[in-house]
Amino acid sequence: MIILNLIIRGLITGAIYSLTSMGIVLILSTTLVMNFAQGDMGMLLAYFAFYMLVRKISYPVVFVLIIIIGIILGFLLEKYLMNRARKTSHLGMVMITLGLTMIFEGIAGYSFGTMPLLFPKAISGEPLIISGIIIDKHDLFTFIVSILIVIILFIILYKTKIGIAARSLAEDEFGARILGIPINSIYLFIWMTAFSLAGVSGMLVAGRQTLEPHFMIVIQLKGFMAAVLGGMNSIVGAVLGGFLLGMIENLVSFYIPQIKDSFSLILIVLVLLFLPQGIFGKRETRRA
Amino acid sequence: MKKYISYILLILVLFLPLIFKTKPSIIGYLNLIMIYGISAQGLNLLLGIGGQISLGHAAFMAIGGYTSAIFVVNYNFPFLIALIISIIVSAIFGLIVGFPSLRLKGFYLAIATMALGSVVGDVIRRMSITGGDQGFRNIPTFNIFGYKFETNYSKFYLILFFFLLVFFISRNFIKSKSGKSLIAMRDSEVGALSIGVNISNAKLLAFVLASVFAGLSGVLYAHDISYLHPSNFGLSLSIDLLAITIIGGLGTLWGPILASLFWIFLPFIIGSKLELLASVIFGIVVIIVVLFLPRGLSEIIFRIEKNLKRT
Repeated sequence: MIILNLIIRGLITGAIYSLTSMGIVLILSTTLVMNFAQGDMGMLLAYFAFYMLVRKISYPVVFVLIIIIGIILGFLLEKYLMNRARKTSHLGMVMITLGLTMIFEGIAGYSFGTMPLLFPKAISGEPLIISGIIIDKHDLFTFIVSILIVIILFIILYKTKIGIAARSLAEDEFGARILGIPINSIYLFIWMTAFSLAGVSGMLVAGRQTLEPHFMIVIQLKGFMAAVLGGMNSIVGAVLGGFLLGMIENLVSFYIPQIKDSFSLILIVLVLLFLPQGIFGKRETRRA
Repeated sequence: MKKYISYILLILVLFLPLIFKTKPSIIGYLNLIMIYGISAQGLNLLLGIGGQISLGHAAFMAIGGYTSAIFVVNYNFPFLIALIISIIVSAIFGLIVGFPSLRLKGFYLAIATMALGSVVGDVIRRMSITGGDQGFRNIPTFNIFGYKFETNYSKFYLILFFFLLVFFISRNFIKSKSGKSLIAMRDSEVGALSIGVNISNAKLLAFVLASVFAGLSGVLYAHDISYLHPSNFGLSLSIDLLAITIIGGLGTLWGPILASLFWIFLPFIIGSKLELLASVIFGIVVIIVVLFLPRGLSEIIFRIEKNLKRT
């Protein structure tokens, strides 16, 4: 019974990791930017959500508004910044996203203060107990929403024209250009999706912990790890990697609590060294 | 004229404590600037010359600082011996991190170093000898052959000595064979490999030098501030150090010190009311430098040099 409880809790944390790692992989595989600002994009939007929620706007409305704001901010970010950044080196792009984290954290800290704030849960109340398995209602909501978002994104990526175009871009940018795929609008679509994804995960995570300018850093680190575990160039891998990481972490922190903080970090370094393409990723052919 | 400019600057710097005789706090900040400048110089060699990104640089500062603090406080070692031990320890850690770097590239190295940096923080939090989450308190000041560096002014000269040493070593490293092969590798990997440049040793040397500089700056920090806490050496300091290196201008010798000057004094320039916005401004400057000014703040130095050459 304990194991079942742990696995379910692992799946819930895993769902959150999946959302973040999906955003990271989506951006990395198509635009070749390692987005170190994915977590802080969510942090900023969670503060926006907090601002609206304390003004008595209902949770579902705020949820939809955050997705819309995320889309708008993603549009602006790609249109006016990342577009130009693509001409610089890889390192330059990484530094730009790191610069963005400083800007976002500074804005949040300046306008809301650095003290932790209590973010409302989506559904409050007593946890559900189903035949010995304890589930917090907000966690259940988190899990269902995450799964829904993953399904919607997969439908977009595999069934719609723009999604297929985005995947082709990830496969081979030059080939996609030759086939006349409008690359710039795909980039816009990717950043809009990733930013609103970050907003959703920011809101969901903030409900489980408190809201403060650094609260997404850990989640983002875990998102990177999930992405590495699943394979940096595979979106399926990113999702599965997130769930896997969540479960492994929960099991390890229960059975071997001494190493719970460092375990996943060391695991990732080992994966990077010995299985750099991840569990589900495609082996990359090296081009000069 | 150009030949003497660095000596003139040095003499000016030597007289700085006399200029700010009434304000020891300014000298305290200058000490911090030099300490962060030493650390950033290490990252500069690694990133600007070696092209290897590291997001765990602050962890090396923590390793150096804690090692020295533990040996001085718990085992009553003299400062100089503790300094040497911590430099050796950080060199060993640099080697340990350096080996994976031979296999990992770009983004992957960034994630791996970020993970290792967080591991160091976690380990320090969990150990009892480091004071854990309470932090390491009451670290005595520098003590060399019985002379205690009590005031900010005396510390200033000691830190300046180490800073110049680091500057000198970096300059020689850039001019050395390893430095040149790293530059060749950074600019064109295929080109460098095809003419038979052996890069592994040079990469490892860059990692070791970077971690030694970071360790040294950690030691200086520990005995200057006399207090250490793992959260002071977290990911945000690593990111800040990376930003300092970029803002100063990658691969330039003057960059790290100029940018850490900017980093420390920025909150004072914009005033205490807007202090929280300092990181916003810093982030904007990072983005501007990446997009438009590849040589960063060192551009100023290059311009001055150019003008001097003309006269």
